[in-house]
Parts: sequence; C-alpha cells; structure tokens
Amino acid sequence: MESSLSNLLSISIDFGTSHLFFPTIIHWIMAVLFAIILATKLVPFMAAVKRGERALPIVGEPMDGLRFFGTLALLVVYFYLMAVVGDMFPYTGYGFLFVSIPFVFLMSMMYLHEWTKKAVVIVLINAITAPSLAWFILAKLFNITLP
Amino acid sequence: MEFLSLLDITFFLLAGFGALIGIIFGAIPGMTATMAVAVCLPLTYALGLNHGLALLLGLYVGGISGGMVPAVLLNIPGTPSSITTTFDGYPMAQKGEGEKALRVCVIASLVGGLISAAVLFLFAPLLADFSIKFSYVEKFLIILLALTVIASLSSNMLIGIFSGVIGIWLSLIGDYSISDGGNGKTRLMFDFMEPFLFEGFSLLPVLIGIFGISTILLEAEKGVKSGLTNERVRIGKGVSANFSLSIFKGRLTNLVRSSFIGTFVGMLPGVGGSAASVLAYTQEKNLAKDSSQMGKGAPQGLIASESANNALTGGALIPLLSLGIPGDSTTAVLIGAFTLQGIQVGPLFIPENTETWYVMMTALVFANFVMFFLMFYAIKYIAKVVLVPKHILFPIIVMMCVVGAYAINYGIMFDVWTLLIFGILGYLIQKVGLEVAPLIIGFILGSQAEIYFVKSLESAGTLSIFFTKSPIAGVLWLLILASVMFSLMMSLKSRAKRRQELLG
Repeated sequence: MESSLSNLLSISIDFGTSHLFFPTIIHWIMAVLFAIILATKLVPFMAAVKRGERALPIVGEPMDGLRFFGTLALLVVYFYLMAVVGDMFPYTGYGFLFVSIPFVFLMSMMYLHEWTKKAVVIVLINAITAPSLAWFILAKLFNITLP
Repeated sequence: MEFLSLLDITFFLLAGFGALIGIIFGAIPGMTATMAVAVCLPLTYALGLNHGLALLLGLYVGGISGGMVPAVLLNIPGTPSSITTTFDGYPMAQKGEGEKALRVCVIASLVGGLISAAVLFLFAPLLADFSIKFSYVEKFLIILLALTVIASLSSNMLIGIFSGVIGIWLSLIGDYSISDGGNGKTRLMFDFMEPFLFEGFSLLPVLIGIFGISTILLEAEKGVKSGLTNERVRIGKGVSANFSLSIFKGRLTNLVRSSFIGTFVGMLPGVGGSAASVLAYTQEKNLAKDSSQMGKGAPQGLIASESANNALTGGALIPLLSLGIPGDSTTAVLIGAFTLQGIQVGPLFIPENTETWYVMMTALVFANFVMFFLMFYAIKYIAKVVLVPKHILFPIIVMMCVVGAYAINYGIMFDVWTLLIFGILGYLIQKVGLEVAPLIIGFILGSQAEIYFVKSLESAGTLSIFFTKSPIAGVLWLLILASVMFSLMMSLKSRAKRRQELLG
C-alpha cells in the first residue's frame, strides 16, 4: 500500500522538456476552471441574455464608439509615429516631443464636449507646454532615454 | 543611526512632493494610488534608491488618502477604498460641514497610517527572520497560500482563482530562464515572437498598461463626461469654525480597532482597500453603543472608514518586504520599482539592507505627516482638483505612461506596444467580469512559483515532498485549507441569506 502510493506520487522531470512541465499543469488547471465557470456562470448568464434580462458586456452595452475607437486609433498612430520620427533624430527624444504635441492636442479635442474658444485655447496651450515640459525635465535634466 | 546621514533635504522634499501628487491623483475620481505610482515611475529612474523610495512611498500614502476628497464632496469615491467614506461624508457636506468632515478624515487617516507603520516596523523583520529558512517547497506553498487567500476573498472564488491562473499563464510566456536553472527554451508563443518576447513581457509596462491605459479606455467608452460644476462642490464655510478635536472623544476604540483591521486586511495579498474600509465600517456599526446616526452623517463612520483604508499602506508592505509578495495592486507596482533600483524584495531584504529599511520607514512616517499637513490646512485648494477636466488630464497620463514603459529597459519600443496590449487586455478583463488584482499578483508570482515547484520536484522526485518537507509545510497546508473553507462558508452563508430574503 505504502509503496504503491509513493509510486503514484513519484515524478521525474526530463530536463530537455522541463520548460513545458509547469505550463502544462497550468493549462489543465485553466481548462478545468474554465469548464466549471462555463457550466455554473456562463451558461446561466447566456440564458439570461437570451431572455433579455442581462446585456452582453461590450457588444450589448451602450458605448461612446467614436471616443473609444478614436482613442485606440490615436494610441496606435501615436506609438507607431513616435518610433518613426524618433529614428530620424536618434538619441534626442525629439520623436517623443514632436509626436506628443499633436497627440495630446487631438486627444484633448476628442474628449472635449463643447468646443468653445476658451476651451480650445486652453487645450492648445496644454498640448504645447505639457510635452515640452516633460521632454525638458526627463530627457534634458534627468537624461532619461526617450524615443 | 547611520542611516540618518542618508537623509537630506531632497529626500524630504520628494516625499512631500510625492504625497501632494498622490493626493491629487487620489482626489480625481477614477484615478488611483496605483496609477499615481505607475505614472510617476519615470521620475524615479533618474533618482537614486533612497530618493526614489521617498517619492514612491509619498505617492502611495497620498494616493490612498486623497480618495476622501471627492467621497465627501461629490459622493463619488476617488479610490475604491473610500467607498464607505461617502456614506457619512456626503450627508455632512450637504449639511455644510464638508470641511469638518474632511478634517475628521484627515486625522483618522494619519492615525491609521502611523499605527500600520508601527506594526510594519515591528512585524516585518520578524516575519522575514522566520521565512529566511524557507526552502523552495515552503516558498512555493507560500505563493499557493497567497493565491488561495486572494481567490477566497474576491467576490467570487472561482473567478478569483481563474483570474490568478491567467496571470500565472501570462508570466510563463518567454524562456524558462537559464539563470534560474531552467533549460532556456521558450514556450507559449510562436517563433516569430521570439525576438520581442524571449524574456517574456516586462513587468512594469504590463502594470502601467493595465492600470493606466485600460482606465483611459474604460473612461473613453463612457464618453469622458465632465459633468462636474462648481456648484456641486460644497466645502462649507469658515475656517474650521466648528471643528474641534472633541469629535474624537470616546472614539479611540473605533480609531484603533479600525486601524488594526486595515493593517490586517492590507497584509492579505490581493485584497484591496475597499475590503478594509467596509469591514471596519461594519464592525463599528455592530459594536458601537450608538450607531443610529451612521449613514446620515456621523463622524464615527468617517473615522472607521478612513483610518482603515490608510492603515492598508503599512499592512500591504509587510508581505512585500518580508516575503516578496505584494499585498495590493499598488505594492505590485512598487515591486517593479524596487527591482528597477536593484532591490530584490524577499526574506533577505531587511537583514541585508538595514539602512534602506530605516530609510523606507522614515519616508513612510514622514509622508503620513506631510499628507496630514497638506490636507488639514490646504484642503480647500486641493478640493478644487476634482474639477480639473479629464480632457486635459488623460492625454498627459498616456504620455507619462509611454515614457515609463519606453525608458524602463533603456529604450525598447516593444515595451510601449506591451502597454497597448495590456491596456486592451485590462479593459477586456474588467468588462467580462474577471478580477485585475489576482491576475496581477499571479503574473508577478507565476515565474517564481514555476521555479520553486519544478526544482522541488526535480530534487525530490516525488510529490509527497510538498507535505512532508517540514512542519512549516504542514502549517501552510492547514492555512490554505482554512482559507478555502472560509470562502466556502462565506458563499454558503450568503446563499442562505439570499434564499431567506427571497422567502421573506
């Protein structure tokens, strides 16, 4: 009895594939947990959605599509252009500075609900000063690497 | 007392500056202490260890306590942990006692912060001393215990565990590091990802993405409403005309009890501040002689809530500094910041860095006092921060997140993309109802858990090692079992209660 139990518990790990040992266990745990959640939560939830009692997250909820997808698009363009412009002026941080100014401006304008003259001027001033200040303090004073 | 020579004017200025920025972040609804630490990280790259610590701890303390401002004035908790402050704070503000309410909160916060700092100072070295003898087996069990506790205290245990396991899975992406005794092969990815992901995702961009970018996405989805006008903010008139310390008379038990509750909850990994303040608030409600006014504007509710949530700071640092396990999401970011400064937190941290340890304690206590003076005397001006429009603030936050991610490994563009990946992931996680805190802690502890687990098995060759290694292993298993039982009992209790409500 004793020996069969210790046989059951004994494990040898082949070094060559030891990088897959732990992830395999995690995959199994994830699969089992997901199955339980599927049965106890997701199925009743979907049934409630079908009856119209609950709304699906993200797709079934009201959202500000323009601002949400606008934010995503702006972020992608911002990150991409920063690297491109940064490569034109290596080790200066100009990529960060020159791309951040229009980014901050556009994002502020997108989030601004009423475009009054005063609000736009504030946005513009902020869009120029904030990145410049950040660039000056971080890149010039502190010598931090910027794109 | 050698460490005193490490303190200079800059040190105190940075701690104070950190507290101020933290308060501002905490005071803006939707922004948290975690975000304050994440956004200000790039500033610490250029600072030395001690100065960096001063800034970070200032941010932490300020960020947690800043949440009281909108809680009292607008009935919106600035950070999740000030949710119970709204119950009594807002009714007081409507009666024109906003300033009085805030001052009660400030004093309660100071006491909570100091008590928890004292507990940290006494307890962390003991725990570290004890855990220094731990082998890989006990270390693995400690991580297992931490994850079980997180899961059993999240609103739904199953979801909590699942979130934690996803976090572990994410941490395994990359190579099984040779420096940790692995075979250096990569897993969980395709070959084309290898140039970017050989060492996996870096911790800080992941954290900044989840706490910074995803918050922005969540707000953008809601349309970034401003909605705040000057009229809604009523601070109350006169300079503390009707505030006196006598409010605290007879409230000492409440104050001390709530502080200890906060400290204790802070120690439990992954449990946020809301649990601490809710627990302290309900305890006061159950135990106070007269709790009839609670919820209608009673200072005792404010005292319970704010002393508990500020006591979190010291509590959450205990497992971080003695075991290397973060107590909440803010300390999770702190772990990243420490690594950056070349500090490995864990059992050896305090014995090997005694001076740094004293410096940290000084910064923590000082930050609490700065927070107190700033909030007590300048509360009127700070309260105006809740009016800063988000369309100005958000782009600046994104910009700072980018700097933080890019500069962390001295200029790797992939880290900036990591920011976006985890920003979107964090958004999705919160939308489908998974929990962020267990996920983050799983991510931080996952790769260590792997090493401890696999190495224990490789050397022993049998699973029974996890039970028979030492008496401590047995105790840890008992604790794991206890936390599972606790969670099961709680869920049964709430189910029975719901059934009773349905029947009654």
